[in-house]
Amino acid sequence: MTAIQRDLAGRDPGLAGLLAALGQDGPAAGGPVITADVPAGRLEDAVRRIAARPAARLADVFASAADRGDAVILRLIWGLDADHAYLVTESVIEAERYPSLSDIAPAAFYEECEIYEQFGIRPAGTKPLNRVALPPIADCDLPRLGRAPAPPPADVHAPHVVGGHAFEFPFGPVRQVGVESLYYGLVTSGEEVVDLYLFTWHKYRGVEWRLQGRTPRDALFHVERTEGLGAVGPAWAFAAAAEAALGLAPPPQAERSRAIALELDRLYNHAAATAALCQSTGLVIGQAAAEIALERLLRLNAAAFGHRYLFGVVDIGGAAAGPDAAALRRDLPGAYGELRRAADALLSTNSFLDRLEATGILSQEAAARLGLVGPVARATGLPIDVRADHPASPYAELLPEVATADGGDVLARFRVMLAEAAESVRLIEEMLGAGAGPGRAEPSGGAGGAGSDAAASGLGWAESCRGEALAWVALDDRGRITRARLRPASVRNWRGFDDACRSQNVFTDIPIIEASFWLTVAGTAR
Amino acid sequence: MTAGTDTSRGVKETSEALREAVARQFGRSLHIRTLDTGSCAACEQEIRLLAAPHYDLHRLGFFFTPAPRHADLLMATGPMIRAFGPAARKTYEAMPGPKLVVATGACALGGVYQPDAFTHGGIAGTLPVDVWIPGCPPSPLALLQGLLVAVGRLAEKVQDLSFTQNGTPR
Amino acid sequence: MPLWFIRGLRRGVVTTRYPARPDDSAALLPTPPSFRPGALTIAVADRLAQVCPSRALTREGEVLLYDVGACTACGRCRAEVPAAVTDSGQFELAATIRARLIKRIPLADGGRAPGSGAEVSP
Repeated sequence: MTAIQRDLAGRDPGLAGLLAALGQDGPAAGGPVITADVPAGRLEDAVRRIAARPAARLADVFASAADRGDAVILRLIWGLDADHAYLVTESVIEAERYPSLSDIAPAAFYEECEIYEQFGIRPAGTKPLNRVALPPIADCDLPRLGRAPAPPPADVHAPHVVGGHAFEFPFGPVRQVGVESLYYGLVTSGEEVVDLYLFTWHKYRGVEWRLQGRTPRDALFHVERTEGLGAVGPAWAFAAAAEAALGLAPPPQAERSRAIALELDRLYNHAAATAALCQSTGLVIGQAAAEIALERLLRLNAAAFGHRYLFGVVDIGGAAAGPDAAALRRDLPGAYGELRRAADALLSTNSFLDRLEATGILSQEAAARLGLVGPVARATGLPIDVRADHPASPYAELLPEVATADGGDVLARFRVMLAEAAESVRLIEEMLGAGAGPGRAEPSGGAGGAGSDAAASGLGWAESCRGEALAWVALDDRGRITRARLRPASVRNWRGFDDACRSQNVFTDIPIIEASFWLTVAGTAR
Repeated sequence: MTAGTDTSRGVKETSEALREAVARQFGRSLHIRTLDTGSCAACEQEIRLLAAPHYDLHRLGFFFTPAPRHADLLMATGPMIRAFGPAARKTYEAMPGPKLVVATGACALGGVYQPDAFTHGGIAGTLPVDVWIPGCPPSPLALLQGLLVAVGRLAEKVQDLSFTQNGTPR
Repeated sequence: MPLWFIRGLRRGVVTTRYPARPDDSAALLPTPPSFRPGALTIAVADRLAQVCPSRALTREGEVLLYDVGACTACGRCRAEVPAAVTDSGQFELAATIRARLIKRIPLADGGRAPGSGAEVSP
């Protein structure tokens, strides 16, 4: 990512005060990523201080094995959206326990479970940790990034009492035709959804483990195919992380190429979500109209970049493909028009709107507490969008409009997607005007990053169709990955799905809510 | 029905007879159950588009069904994550015979993922495959061709393609 | 819902005629590569095998083993050695026998006659 150079003095002095309290004299660079070493003993205090900062959200938590001994490095990635910066705190944990993060930032609970499974260290306290990636097979011994947990994590089923009766039945993993495998426990008293537990371990592929030892370019192939439905965002985030580690700045026309691909990615996914919404409400004719739009958008992708799902556009250092501008200019208006007309008809169909209104309500408070991102968060009124909050070229010059809505129900999410689609078309047209094409910055000299660990690691981000996609990469002195962290938006937003399905909703609402979230299991079970 | 997984002459002749039986049984209409064994979700989107207006598999006599009991053909994507294996076998075994299995996409055919602790690296060892459809993801047109080959309504082409240029037929 | 009915009638039919008629949209699709045997030296074959992220290309002696089934049409082999690799343009690739998807392409350094669909299990 091109660094947007800001002088620390030009920032809110509160940020300087926060960093001083963390024991930092100044950031490592005046750019959009600040790294801070926080000793384990001061971690809890640091988390409280940062969480208290306005518009600070805990975007990710992950661990890596330290170079020596059994120690583990715990990294927290904070999105300081109001300061237009990411803050990465690094703490060396030598004990088996670290301060509980989810008590202060509930968004971290899922990550605490992940870390326990992968590294065998757990937060202080007695809160039981759920299974995330491990299937419930007694003799299962999957490779991990660190030490195996002891005792192994368990499935947590809270007792449910609703009017005295509630029962749980498991659903999946083989579900409706044409959808991904997903296993969930549905707790109900009959028709009402009391609770919903998701288990994604059927699709867990161990991608982070598999990326170790690879070059970034090799790894990118697998990163694209981690969440193929909406591949550009996570691929960009990963490429940006590698570029930050290698000190590469993609050429401007390549950045615009990537951004055009990202907006096309957003367009087709929103069209697909529209089709899924129609299918879930039984409006077959609306589904057909949305699918016509979707097919035209996928063909547009193939005409512009040579692949219906935009694989192979993002490259380490830039873009491997540039858009066929003539084809894009010729076909985009018609394809988007198809979606627009379908959406207008849907917004005039009361029987459809009735199913969407007040269904799957997520409050803004819940969205903030759970650390949700993307259209799901924006539909509750939270204006978070990394294109505006952490603008990297070319978005910094384009000033994309952030679409929000009130109410947090399915209809609000639908409206946000439609507004974003319109904005994507505008952004594509502007970028075509400025010129976009393939191009790659090559590493100068060696593979980069010889010496200190800090020099050979990097954070990358992109606003994928589902929201903020993050990636963090550490390279050794031969340029090979020692640790790759992938955090697609789906990882975050599935935890909002439970909330949105609970109470006031019935079974038949679940597919509608799922369509409005438009997540993938693949993006979580990576 | 395991036609197509062995190459000795005797089994080839048997598989010819089986193919004719398949064409008789399924040639006019059949029901498809999909199975995600660990895909990236792109294959699923292309499969969903088979029922969309541009492709409309119904006009060819193909229908999707959620019930394995009702299904004639299992369309499986993904590299067969080991933890999913039992669910895959249960789905296959719930289908009454005769039945076909179509391995869909590069992951199911053994590409992208190598066999390791997490994944089998393809569906062949877990399910008996009748038709293989390459692609990443295979487009709806490629999927239609694969389904029509599976029921014997279109002839296979790939055995005659050499994938070379300069004098050799393409 | 007269609104939808009229929209539908006006929109018309978009359904492909495939397989009765070929479909133009096929021309947009990425396809597995074809190779130029004259440009396939052992060194080139090794480079191609090295760069393929899906292990669709391996060199076995003086033959390039090309698993069309494992190919994702990612284009990295073509970017690596453009002189040796081109698009096949083929998308009708379904096979009832897995071995039919494994092509043995003789290298320029070897002298064997070309064969396809040989008895090689993946």
